[in-house]
This record gives sequence, C-alpha cells and structure tokens, in this order.
Amino acid sequence: MITNMNWIYRVAILLLVFMPDLYSQSMQSSDPKVELGRYLFYNADLSINGTMACATCHEQRRAFCDGNRVHPGALDDSGKRNVPTLANVSKFKNLTWAHNHLSGLAEQSLAPIRGTDPIEMGMNGHEDEIAKRLSQNECYQKLFARAFPEQKGVITLSTVTQALESFEKTLISDNSLYDQKMKAHKPLPTKEAQAGEKLFFKTAKCNTCHTAPLFSDDAFHQIEPEHQVVYNGMIDNGLSDVTANQKDKNFFRTPSLRNVFLSYPYWHDGSAATLFEAIRKHNLNINHTLSKREINQIIAFLKTLTDNTFITDPQFGKPSIECK
Amino acid sequence: MRIILLIGLLSLSLFAKEVDLPVELNAWKSLSYVGAAKSADELLNASLTLNNASYVGLINTPKIKYVTKPFNEGGTVSYGGIFEIKIPQSGIYRVVLGNASWIDLVKDGKAAKSIAHNGGPQNSGIRKMVDYPLEAGIYTLQLSAGADSTTAILVTKIK
Repeated sequence: MITNMNWIYRVAILLLVFMPDLYSQSMQSSDPKVELGRYLFYNADLSINGTMACATCHEQRRAFCDGNRVHPGALDDSGKRNVPTLANVSKFKNLTWAHNHLSGLAEQSLAPIRGTDPIEMGMNGHEDEIAKRLSQNECYQKLFARAFPEQKGVITLSTVTQALESFEKTLISDNSLYDQKMKAHKPLPTKEAQAGEKLFFKTAKCNTCHTAPLFSDDAFHQIEPEHQVVYNGMIDNGLSDVTANQKDKNFFRTPSLRNVFLSYPYWHDGSAATLFEAIRKHNLNINHTLSKREINQIIAFLKTLTDNTFITDPQFGKPSIECK
Repeated sequence: MRIILLIGLLSLSLFAKEVDLPVELNAWKSLSYVGAAKSADELLNASLTLNNASYVGLINTPKIKYVTKPFNEGGTVSYGGIFEIKIPQSGIYRVVLGNASWIDLVKDGKAAKSIAHNGGPQNSGIRKMVDYPLEAGIYTLQLSAGADSTTAILVTKIK
C-alpha cells in the first residue's frame, strides 16, 4: 500500500513538473492567432515583389538568423545590420539591435515590412497591397476569421502584425545542453566547456552583459566607441539614430548568446566572421587578457547553448500544408 | 515580346563584355534563350546546358508546380520556374544567376546543400553565385521567389 502511494506521488510530481510545458505546447498548436502568424511569417506576399518573407532572413535551422553579414532588401537595397536571432524575443523589453521604445513585436514587425532605413520588404506606401493579396486567398480569409472573430476576420496591417507577434512569442529556446545540465544540477560534459563556463561567469565576466538565462541584459552598451561604423555605405550610429541623443551614439543592445554557435557572423554589422573574432573584438576593461586557449574554452561553453529542439521543432517551421 | 527578349539578350551581352570575368565565368558573355517549365511534365523543353549561359523566361509563381517545395517559394507576385540539367561527373558546381531568385538543385527528391554564396563581379550583371557539391546525374534546377520575369543563368564546374 505504501509502495503504491509512493508510485502515485511520483506520477503526480511528474505531472506537476511537466504540465506547464505540455499546456504551453497545446496552446501553441491550437491558438488561431499563432497559426495565422506562422503562415504569415513564411509568406513572401508581405514584401513588395513577393521575394521576401520574414523567414527569408530568419531561418529556423540557423536559430532564426541567416548566415549573411547583412541581408539585402527585396528591391536589392543594402542591408544595414546583421539579422538578430528571434530566440526568446518576447522576453526582451528592447527589440532589435538599437531601439528602446517599441511597444512590442507587432510594432517592431513594421520596421522590416515598411521601414525605409534600410528598405527591407519594401512595403512603405503599399501597405494596402498586403491586405489585398491575402484577401484573394480563401484559406487566409478563414485563418483571419478564426484568429480575429471579434473583428470579423478583417485583414489589415494591424491584424497581420498582431498575428506575427503571437507566433514570435512562441519562439522559446530553453532546452540547450546547458539548460539540461542546469536543471539536472550536473556539470557540462567536457573539461573545456567547464573551464569556459567558469571564465564566462567569473574571470572574464561575460555574464555582466550576457546575463543568464537570456544571455543578454537587454541593455545598450558602447563596445567600440572609437569606430564610426560604416558598412555598404550606410552609417550606423546605433541607439542615437532613434533617440537623437549624442550620448547614445554607438550604443547597441547586448545580443543574446543562445544558439550563438549557429548565428554567425557576429556583431551588429556582422563584421566578426567567427566567435573567436567576436570575443576578441570586445574592448573591455576586465583586468584580464584572454589567451587563445581561454577564448577557445569560452567557445566550447557557448556551444552548449545550442538548442537543437528549437531549431528542429516543426511548430516553428514552415507549415507543411500550404494556405491556398 | 520577341523584341523585348532580343533587347534583353543584347544588353546583357554588351554589359558582360565590359567586365573582365574569371575564366570559369567566360560563358556568361554569350546567352541563348530557354523558357522555364511550369511542372515536371514540361522539363524536356527546359534543359540547361553545362557551361552555357542562358537567358531564361520565368513564370508567375502561382502557376508553378515545383518538383520539391522550395524553402522560399515566393509570393503570388513573384516569378520562378523549373529546368533540367545534366551533371556529367561529380564535383563542385557553381550556379551563376542574374537575379536573387532562390535556387534549389534537386535529385531523387532531395535538394543539394550549398557550400558557398557570393555576389558577382561588379558590373557583370551577376547578382549571385552559389556553389554545390554534386554527383553525376540529371538534376532539376528550381528557381523561386524571383523579382523578374526573366533572368540569366549559368551552371559551371569549378572543381
């Protein structure tokens, strides 16, 4: 009898532990706004000439980055900044590399869709075309009706961006090897990664800005104050381009290091091709010069932040059934 | 339509001649016209020849039935098309393209993985170059999410 009770307790504990995850997964698959947002995320009709979807730059297999230094826009305008990961993007107050007053992901999505600095999807002045294109598709009419019943399924730029926000909020990455070991209170599997972890959190103080668990402090820092950043003829002053305050010049938000091994190249302008270069590029006063060996140890630690579940989860991928 | 194509061919040829291209891209200087297939059934009339540059006519995306679903299929206002090309021996091949269309090289239902991406030399008319390790065989070359109804393409062996 006591043994049976123990068994029931164990099952109950397991259910309590895993219930939130299961609940969140079922919400993901059944929420009509998330479903619509996922279709829209992979739909190139959100760009002026139908060549570019959100997913063109944010590829799941690359942790929602794209592997290019910067990505040209739909009309071949030069890109300005390196594509940032979307992992845990809903957990950030500050969105993009250098903006501090966006109200949320819906407003942020307007920057690539109709922004002009740089021109990405090229829809500035053509916003109505999005609703026109989607309205011609019976499948989208149904998806919008399900997602926005209170608005009678109206297709507008506002409902499009709200749906995109709903999908992006599901992009949670918290199952890397590092997370698994933390949860199990076990050490990382290799001596090199363990040494890198110690450097990251203690000697090299990387954690000061790349603060766990997001591996970003969601704050703006001036890492290269001596450089005027010019790439592809585009001047990038960072946060001061938004605030118009000279004190914010060359300030950029700390990027998350989750899945960083997949999100090359690095830096806001993609100017660091490798993690080694990116670490060396930090001009910080930590009273410790990192040796080549130590940098490689930090890289070994950073590799443990790769979340294979996140980059393969079909719920984040392109829908297998087309919306036609 | 014929006049537009001729003007396009002529301008591309003239454009390319102004630029010193690497030896492996010499074929880019002379183009012959090939119309894209809308589906696998039409592939016999849409063959590309290795080391020969082609000026290709593309098709509005909703009319195309791709052999394998492209990662970036493009929206309803974009262009794409399907072609066939014979790869005679294993090696590294480069697909050279006049626009930024998404490229898939498909054999036995699987798309080859690219190993390098580059832009073309300045003023060459080359927008992108993508390298693939390929085995010998017949490949389906799919272009998708293109901005234009025509472009130029060259497939050449580089290693």
